[in-house]
Amino acid sequence: MRLNIYLTGVGGQGLVTFATVLGDAAIRAGYKALVAETHGLSQRGGSVDVHVRIGDIDAPLIPRGGADVIVAFEIIEAFRAVDYANEDTVFIVNRRLIRPPMIKQKIPSINELENLLRKNIRKLYVVDAYSDAAKLGNIIYENTIILGALYSILRLNQYIPQGVIEESIKMNLRRDIDKNLRAFTIGLKYGNAK
Amino acid sequence: MSNCIIRLMLGNHAIAHGAMEAGIAVAAGYPGTPSSEIIEYLLDNGREFGVYAEWSSNEKVAYEVAYGAALAGARSIVTMKHVGLNVAMDPLMSSAYTGVKGGFVIITADDPGMWSSQNEQDNRWVGLHAYIPVFEPYDPQNAKDLVKLALEFSERHGHPVMMRTVTRVSHVRGPVTVCSPEKPRYSEGYVKEPRRHALVPANARTLKGELLRRWSTIEEDVEDAPHVYIDGNKNLIITSGVAFTYALEAVKNYGVKASILNVVTPVPLPRKVITDAVTRADKVIVIEEGDPVLEQQLKALLYDEDIRVPIMGKMENLFNRVGELTINSVMDGLTKALGIVNPLTSIKTISIDYSPPQRPPVFCPGCPHAASFYELKVSTARSGARPVFSGDIGCYSLGINNPFNEQDLLTNMGSSLGLGMGIYHGTNGKTLVIPIIGDSTFFHTGLPALVNAVYNKTPMLILILDNRVTAMTGGQPNPTSMISIENIAKAVGVDYVRTIDPFDTKKAQDTITEAMSVVKGGGVAVIIMRRGCALEATRLNRGHVARYYVDANACRACGICYNLIACPAIVPLENRKAWIDPNMCVGCSVCAQVCPYNAIKPEGNVKEWLGKWAEM
Ligand code: SF4
Ligand code: SF4
Repeated sequence: MRLNIYLTGVGGQGLVTFATVLGDAAIRAGYKALVAETHGLSQRGGSVDVHVRIGDIDAPLIPRGGADVIVAFEIIEAFRAVDYANEDTVFIVNRRLIRPPMIKQKIPSINELENLLRKNIRKLYVVDAYSDAAKLGNIIYENTIILGALYSILRLNQYIPQGVIEESIKMNLRRDIDKNLRAFTIGLKYGNAK
Repeated sequence: MSNCIIRLMLGNHAIAHGAMEAGIAVAAGYPGTPSSEIIEYLLDNGREFGVYAEWSSNEKVAYEVAYGAALAGARSIVTMKHVGLNVAMDPLMSSAYTGVKGGFVIITADDPGMWSSQNEQDNRWVGLHAYIPVFEPYDPQNAKDLVKLALEFSERHGHPVMMRTVTRVSHVRGPVTVCSPEKPRYSEGYVKEPRRHALVPANARTLKGELLRRWSTIEEDVEDAPHVYIDGNKNLIITSGVAFTYALEAVKNYGVKASILNVVTPVPLPRKVITDAVTRADKVIVIEEGDPVLEQQLKALLYDEDIRVPIMGKMENLFNRVGELTINSVMDGLTKALGIVNPLTSIKTISIDYSPPQRPPVFCPGCPHAASFYELKVSTARSGARPVFSGDIGCYSLGINNPFNEQDLLTNMGSSLGLGMGIYHGTNGKTLVIPIIGDSTFFHTGLPALVNAVYNKTPMLILILDNRVTAMTGGQPNPTSMISIENIAKAVGVDYVRTIDPFDTKKAQDTITEAMSVVKGGGVAVIIMRRGCALEATRLNRGHVARYYVDANACRACGICYNLIACPAIVPLENRKAWIDPNMCVGCSVCAQVCPYNAIKPEGNVKEWLGKWAEM
């Protein structure tokens, strides 16, 4: 088994925590996992990507065109990730737009961006994690909702039992565990609908 | 080994834990990406086991602290990023002469690709230069194993050992077997040995001979390091460090037929191990991260041994010499060398006809530096001055970006003052120079430069942006929490010293304007702009944060707030009016002060919140 998961988003969105929960769950389930973060100026606002590789792997970085799944925490960043995609790559895109500050160029609306993705990507799942999280009371649950979506869409239960990933959430998030577990369950619904 | 468990661990945490398993007593470092998490881990987890760890004021001091401990016989490590090692070069070169008593490992994290650095620098050269052996790990588990081995090796030879990591080892998380720490090995007491420890010329001359003798036993001993040889083919790939993992992927998954030799010690080379492997090969391909350090030495070695096989690597431009290796670049080189097809190039990638806008890193919402740069810009523009902004290393380096453009030079830690003085004198006093330096950088190497400015009577306006932490690397503490920068500046003879809050925009502008006139009169002026890092302030005060919002009726869409302070929380709407994202705003109040139409209003108890923030 070899799974290449490419995460992309904006500094401050918690990609590293997400990747840690996922990687730790994979190891708890008996697989090898490598998580490589590229953060430059370590704080926020810039584009960030994290490579998560699970299974029969040695090197930390995913080859170009080699992602099995691309998870975009922000919709503009989904476009930047296409280098890592091939025709079969599953895209999971959070319906959220974070405007780059100080950009003179006009930015398409979120609907325009979504349509552009739909036109070009076969296996596209758009998730509404931001509003789901707001409904749950705090946007910090956005990540865990996306994790649930990833888990169900990729049918990761073949490799990582749900109990194991929940265990990893408990160990790595530490705060607001109950809400986070709820958020994970909310995310699971995205695996059923296309 | 019964109480060991496998955990997903960051490479740097694995290194720190490995050092604890090897019984280190003392650890010192200066933060710098990608090395910072080693000392952080030891501060969090080492104390309960009796490990002494500290953030030192710079790398040279850190080096001396750990080196001194090792001279006394304790086991110790020192950590820093690649360029940090330059600051420590002075004691480093001497430490090879004196040797050490306790195990002493210098951990230096290189940053190929310059994700967060001013240059790429391969510190394996330093090992060659200084007669210090270099160990190079390839993944987090290997890094943990090697730090233990390096400490033992160092103690066995009474000699410092360097461990060189790269971003893709230090900042990778992988499975690591974690065991209980050993009791820290402190020294029983320092034994005076002036003939060895005091490097006056007569002693140093004797020690150089000893050093060379030690070096030849080290050369023999590295033969027994855990080099990996995977036999399979007449093509031989020789790697060190993370390059090994790419070679493995190439052989296992992408149809490359080759043997692999991974060398644990690129300095000095294990000559026998290498010649054994090479004599079985028709062709040698060297893959390494950074410069062709392995390749150059290998070519010299094979010349000595009279072995002639084709050797290819970075010197033949088979692999990229700028930036870090990737599996794509490694496969490009390998397939070229072996004359086979690269399966990675036949993957059907996709493209979409929309190029997303760049997203350069920006100051965080509520960053006090953004306010300082705004105020500096306004006051210098108003007075018609055209100063040279001499920047420095830290979060505030981002002042180089739009809309501030206030870093004209920026080369290394503490350079803002020194280069500024050079520009002042080089232009025969015709330039108004404004060095901009952070609190940690000031204590790092700004301090001696400030002394020089006063001593050599060089007029400058020095802005010290004191946000109470070393923020760029993640908020490590530094002397600013204990030692008054004001008193230091006064003590070294600066007459004009002022402290202002960058969140008080009016006062900040007035003070900068006043200080510029002091400088024009030939004086040195120091302004300390003090306000805690926004990230730290909100982290420490969850639940107290107040916010601001834009009153849409009052906003006249002038754009001043979003164009001049560039807070990421302020978003221009389609109608060019401003909107503040409530999930991002941290209530610093700067936009409200800047808005000429009073359209930005507080929400929550702003006074109390800003008061709490000011306590940092
Ligand atoms: S108060 Fe204004 S400048 Fe400060 S963080 Fe909020 S939106 Fe940004
Ligand atoms: S500065 Fe004031 S008036 Fe101008 S865009 Fe911002 S909120 Fe609106």
